[in-house]
Amino acid sequence: MNFDFSEDQHEIKRTARDLLASRSSFAKVREAAESHTYDPALWSELVELGWPGIAIAEEHGGQGLGAVELAILCEELGYALAASPFLSTVLAAEAIGAGGSVEQQRQWLPGLASGEITGALGAVGGLVGDAAEAAVIVLIGDDGVARVVARADADVTEVDAIDPTRRAARVYAPPTHGEALGGDDPQAGIDRATIAVAAELVGVSQRALEMTLAYVKDRKQFDTPVGAYQAVSHKCAQMLKDTEGARSATYYGAWAADAGADGPGLPEPASLAKAAASDGARDTAANAIQAHGGIGFTWEADVHWLYKRAQVDAALLGTSGVHRKRLAALVSARLAPAVA
Amino acid sequence: MDLTFSDAEAQFRDELRAWFENNDPGPMPEGEDASYAWRRDWQRRLADDRYAAVHWPEQYGGRGATITQSAIFFEELGRARRPLPANVLGILLAGPTIMTFGTDEQKDRYLAPILTAEEIWCQGFSEPDAGSDLAALKTRAVRDPAHPDEWVVTGQKVWTSGAQHSKWCMLVARTDFDAPKHKGLTYFLMDMEQPGVQVRPLVQITGEPEFNELFIEGARIPDENVLGGVGNGWKVALTTLMNERSGLAFFLQVRLRQLLDELIEEAAERGLLDDPVVADKLGYLHMKAEILRLTAYRGLTTIEKYGTPGPEGSLTKWMWSETNQELAQFAADLIGPDALTNGNRWAYELLRSRGNTIEGGTTEILKNIVAERVLGLPRLKGAA
Ligand SMILES: Cc1cc2nc3c(=O)[nH]c(=O)nc-3n(C[C@H](O)[C@H](O)[C@H](O)COP(=O)(O)OP(=O)(O)OC[C@H]3O[C@@H](n4cnc5c(N)ncnc54)[C@H](O)[C@@H]3O)c2cc1C
Repeated sequence: MNFDFSEDQHEIKRTARDLLASRSSFAKVREAAESHTYDPALWSELVELGWPGIAIAEEHGGQGLGAVELAILCEELGYALAASPFLSTVLAAEAIGAGGSVEQQRQWLPGLASGEITGALGAVGGLVGDAAEAAVIVLIGDDGVARVVARADADVTEVDAIDPTRRAARVYAPPTHGEALGGDDPQAGIDRATIAVAAELVGVSQRALEMTLAYVKDRKQFDTPVGAYQAVSHKCAQMLKDTEGARSATYYGAWAADAGADGPGLPEPASLAKAAASDGARDTAANAIQAHGGIGFTWEADVHWLYKRAQVDAALLGTSGVHRKRLAALVSARLAPAVA
Repeated sequence: MDLTFSDAEAQFRDELRAWFENNDPGPMPEGEDASYAWRRDWQRRLADDRYAAVHWPEQYGGRGATITQSAIFFEELGRARRPLPANVLGILLAGPTIMTFGTDEQKDRYLAPILTAEEIWCQGFSEPDAGSDLAALKTRAVRDPAHPDEWVVTGQKVWTSGAQHSKWCMLVARTDFDAPKHKGLTYFLMDMEQPGVQVRPLVQITGEPEFNELFIEGARIPDENVLGGVGNGWKVALTTLMNERSGLAFFLQVRLRQLLDELIEEAAERGLLDDPVVADKLGYLHMKAEILRLTAYRGLTTIEKYGTPGPEGSLTKWMWSETNQELAQFAADLIGPDALTNGNRWAYELLRSRGNTIEGGTTEILKNIVAERVLGLPRLKGAA
């Protein structure tokens, strides 16, 4: 057993961290958020590096790497809070790549891999990231069936969600438009996408923890760094626990996605990752605001961007409550197949 | 990243499963003494086939198992619903500490009887006024002027688990009264079967007398029973504590999962899984149990690869104790009044689990350790 990245994977992580640190500073994030646009230079650079296609099969123009590599990138983009259509695009690609028919893959994956088009994935009536400019939207209906819908066939209304670093929309499409994900296991695509969202949440959580540590070591009250007070230091310990726990669950999910039939299956690990990462990032970002005191509550400080991203990501593809109930159902079915 | 076990690890697991299958101690008899004797017999069986301490080196009767194999051993022990060996403190704490700091004579003398449960060990660290602040302990050991190679010990220990069955005690006592508090301590191997050592059972919240008070009045310890050198007791004690916080995680993790699975089955049988509140909470507990298991696995990789535990190591005991308590509380809520009658297993869990966040270092102390040593936060003056 080896529950650590390979050398190559560590290298991807380091490269992504360094690149994003220089290209997607908080000043840039703020600029994008306040103007409700993305940073086009960043997106073209990511496209040049082939990031959107990292987990797309080579035959469709991707790099043919796996869910673990994708999770690494998503985590780093979450850490940097990058304002780009990356996540939405890879979610659509995961859904179609693992859950779509051969025709659907041929039609959409090359464009998504090359960054020529962007994608989106979400539920009817929910918040769907980046749908307004996406060429293809994978839309999960109230019946749970996911359809692949061309942007032109969908009714997309941009909404002003609390997280301005990602552009959200509500999407509707009449049942006659688009066609259901046609692969052998449509749910596998959604589950893989769910793990990618969890990875972004882990990055958000890690950033919130690090920003808080830096702040509480520096900030003094009563002649003492506030990080020395247990009410604060224990909160930080909790933030580490929540972040690392979410990370364990998310990496496990990504590994399970790559392990395929040799692994533990996908539904349980995917729901585990999403539930853990949603709770972890929301709590950690909330604790970060608290530990920053009044400054943490201002528009001026940056922690609120993390809190907002965590909240919106946590609602994407099922809240933690949805995934916890799914876990309970899956586990009880596994334990007692006889019990209906 | 590859979370499948290697062929060698899988083979070790199979071998253990077969062994546990063929070795069943039967149901645990009632009563403290009888159940203890039963666990002692069980340990002898383990020792006969060199399974009592797989992580010990072969030369001392172990199998030189890797940290992952040792985790597999504890997982399988739990999975087979077999009990922990009676001398668990000897195997997990005393033995490894003696291997690290002991002289050749000490290793020859003490290690073998630990494995066979011939000599049971207890841990005499905590005192009435020194719990979390262990280095504040007051038990004194002074050289006997008439026999300069012997120490005379006076003091009181408390919460000493298993002292009533023990032949030996890992005793930390103060030997230098002028030195700063961490510097004046010495680690002794104290014979419990001598005048001057009195064990008084302390009944626990569950009604069982698992731990004890230890009154020490003029007990004698020869020089050859100092472990790791006079004045070096704090360092030796830390080694013991580090072992305490790592070894059991996998057994406990499996036990927690078994309890949870049983609760989920019970909820399903009662038709309660359709209740969204129940399903949500069971899913939550399952999530926490999985996070614990996976974080413990990550810790294994960190140790195997880098030699030292990462942050995962400090987190798993905290995760386990918290989740075990939440599980017991939810079981009581779900099952209702039946869970509150003595003799009901959930009633026992409800009570016993309160100790989980105290024994082996309280949650507050674990948080201090994480904050200071992992996160590098400043510490308050005077606080541990
Ligand atoms: C079931 C069980 C078995 C045990 N077995 C053994 C054994 O075999 N051998 C042995 O030596 N000991 C044993 N112990 C003792 C155990 O290690 C101590 O109880 C524990 O270390 C806490 O010490 P204390 O009881 O003195 O509590 P205290 O240290 O007095 O703590 C009281 C409260 O104050 C908090 N606190 C204390 N210091 C700090 C601080 N610096 N920051 C924040 N909060 C703080 C604690 O977290 C706790 O909530 C056992 C305990 C239990 C419950």
